[in-house]
Amino acid sequence: MKTPRILRTSSFRLAALYAGLFVLSMGALFAIVYWLASDVLRDQARASVMSELRELTPTNPARSNDWLIAEISDRIATASQHGRYYGLQNQTGRIVAGDLPGPPTQMGWQELVAPNPSGARGAANASDDPEIVLLAFAHPLGDGRTLTVALDTFKISEAQEAIILAFAWAAAVGGMLALFGGVVLSRGFLKRVDGFNRAVENIIEGHMDERLGLSGAGDELDQLGGNFNEMLDRLQALMESLKQVSSDIAHDLRTPLSRLRQHLEAARGDARRMEDYETAVDQAVVDTDLILSTFSALLRITQIESGTRRSSFRSINLSAVYQNVAEVYAPVIDDAGKALAIDIMPDLEITGDHELLTQQLANLIENAITHTPPGTNVWLNLHQGAQGPIGLLGDNGPGIAETERHKIFERFHRLDVSRTTPGNGLGLALVKAVADLHGATITVTDNLPGTTFAIHFKQQAPEKTETV
Amino acid sequence: MKILLVEDDEDTAAYIAKSLRQHGHVIDHATTGRDGLFLAAGEHYDTMIVDRMLPELDGLAMVKTLRGAGVTIPVLFLTTLGGIDDRVEGLESGGDDYLVKPFAFSELLARVNALARRPPPNGQQTTLSVGNLKIDLLKREVTRAGRRIALQPQEFKLLEYLMCHTGQVVTRTMLLENVWEFHFDPHTTVVETHISRLRGKIDQGFDRPLIHTVRGSGYCLREDA
Repeated sequence: MKTPRILRTSSFRLAALYAGLFVLSMGALFAIVYWLASDVLRDQARASVMSELRELTPTNPARSNDWLIAEISDRIATASQHGRYYGLQNQTGRIVAGDLPGPPTQMGWQELVAPNPSGARGAANASDDPEIVLLAFAHPLGDGRTLTVALDTFKISEAQEAIILAFAWAAAVGGMLALFGGVVLSRGFLKRVDGFNRAVENIIEGHMDERLGLSGAGDELDQLGGNFNEMLDRLQALMESLKQVSSDIAHDLRTPLSRLRQHLEAARGDARRMEDYETAVDQAVVDTDLILSTFSALLRITQIESGTRRSSFRSINLSAVYQNVAEVYAPVIDDAGKALAIDIMPDLEITGDHELLTQQLANLIENAITHTPPGTNVWLNLHQGAQGPIGLLGDNGPGIAETERHKIFERFHRLDVSRTTPGNGLGLALVKAVADLHGATITVTDNLPGTTFAIHFKQQAPEKTETV
Repeated sequence: MKILLVEDDEDTAAYIAKSLRQHGHVIDHATTGRDGLFLAAGEHYDTMIVDRMLPELDGLAMVKTLRGAGVTIPVLFLTTLGGIDDRVEGLESGGDDYLVKPFAFSELLARVNALARRPPPNGQQTTLSVGNLKIDLLKREVTRAGRRIALQPQEFKLLEYLMCHTGQVVTRTMLLENVWEFHFDPHTTVVETHISRLRGKIDQGFDRPLIHTVRGSGYCLREDA
């Protein structure tokens, strides 16, 4: 037989374990209470017997045998309600006074078992048992007689029974409640897990928009569901970007591929001389290189976005990177008929990737070179901001329209005005990917006219922040 | 030069071997890392060209093993995997240079030549000269025919690299990687601009130019035309 599902849930098992532990601790508590209470009750009984004996023991020789007998019968009449028994034996051991059911077996403390004399002694403190157990103390009076006082232990056993009963009920009810609580908890848990399962099944079937339902309680299950949803969001975004990239590749590579094909076809049809063929082959190699460079740029961006390069991050001198790139491009900018102003604060350090940061800045500078007319001023600054170094590349060129600004970091996005300039539309996508990898943010502002790109790096060198 | 080519792709291997033989090199070809290891350990080669992905023993492990055994033959890694991680990994495991497929044969040839004729790494040489052009690496001074020429730091770095590879063809990519630490292909004329500036300083006003353009390959610094 298969165990019902509810019994197999972890929350029910936990509840059952707690119920078991609860019953066990109740048992321990019971044992302690029972033992202590019995002890106290027995001590009280002994004290009561002893005080009774003290009062009856004739300390005054003037008090005669008759006084004792009268006193005993007197006490029997008044103290019968307390379950006490008295017995006075003469020298031969015969009971001459009192109502003790039988003679004591020895001197001192003992337990006497006698038939229940119930009825004769009033029902209030009597048990229905056929026998009574008496706690007795036999005391030699010195003249050969023995005085015995006994107390019915019925009250003690009654209290003990009450304790047992109370604990039995408490354990039973507590255990049941714990189990019941476990079932209820498991039900709620199972219901939510079922909800999760249904959602996941839907997602498996291809409904990528489906998300796990959250109760809003903010508990662990909600956290789990929330994390799952975040993961799904991220996966979906990745799938979307993958889809986007695939269609981008299909679209953006079709142009150079068809151009290559046209060139080859033209060569087959028109080339007559060796030189014609050589020109055609050279052209084909150029076309192919263009396609390959687009491919490798895409692969590089994908690799950067995957974040695996973060493992090779080291503390690097960002100022040196900027200085190197600026020096490399200064003559290029100069030859293009533009001016470059450089202002780099020395020895700014961040944790990052030397090669990628070099390429990031190079791409930004190349953008400024390619997309501005001669006579444009370009400036490159690196200074320390509040959060970390800030790299700025500005120009007073034509600028980027406000509506286009958010799209420029997308892959293959090219402004209409720049369709005719060389480039694959991946330069800024890489700039963005490198910034994301370094936890840096990029802002684009209008210089009226012109554009400034600002890269806000985060200070990631902990030893520097600690000394502040 | 005697070159060991370890490449499992038959087409690529045949193409590389044929082209290198046309340039007068002797080629031994192994198709697995294990065979490559045995060949490299047993014979003397001037250079090895090793594919990263090889059956039985991959290129990285093969080169690591060779380096561990004290074999110092220069190694050029070939790979279809792009990206910088692989390059760094390759260099760290004992490779000397790295080339990503697909590549132009001229690029491979230039790099193989540069590797095989690499000067021994001793810090003793502080002056280099080609014809009447001399540079002092310590004082960072350049003279041609006794006349002092002032160079910008980047120009000096470029000239130093060219002088270290005198008589060899250096490609655009080799210059980008080794002179400016650019491990990507810029879309602007970075290399051309710097070469032209350098030419303006060291060749202009002299009868015989030292910096030559090698069509389809790169540049070469040499005395005779």
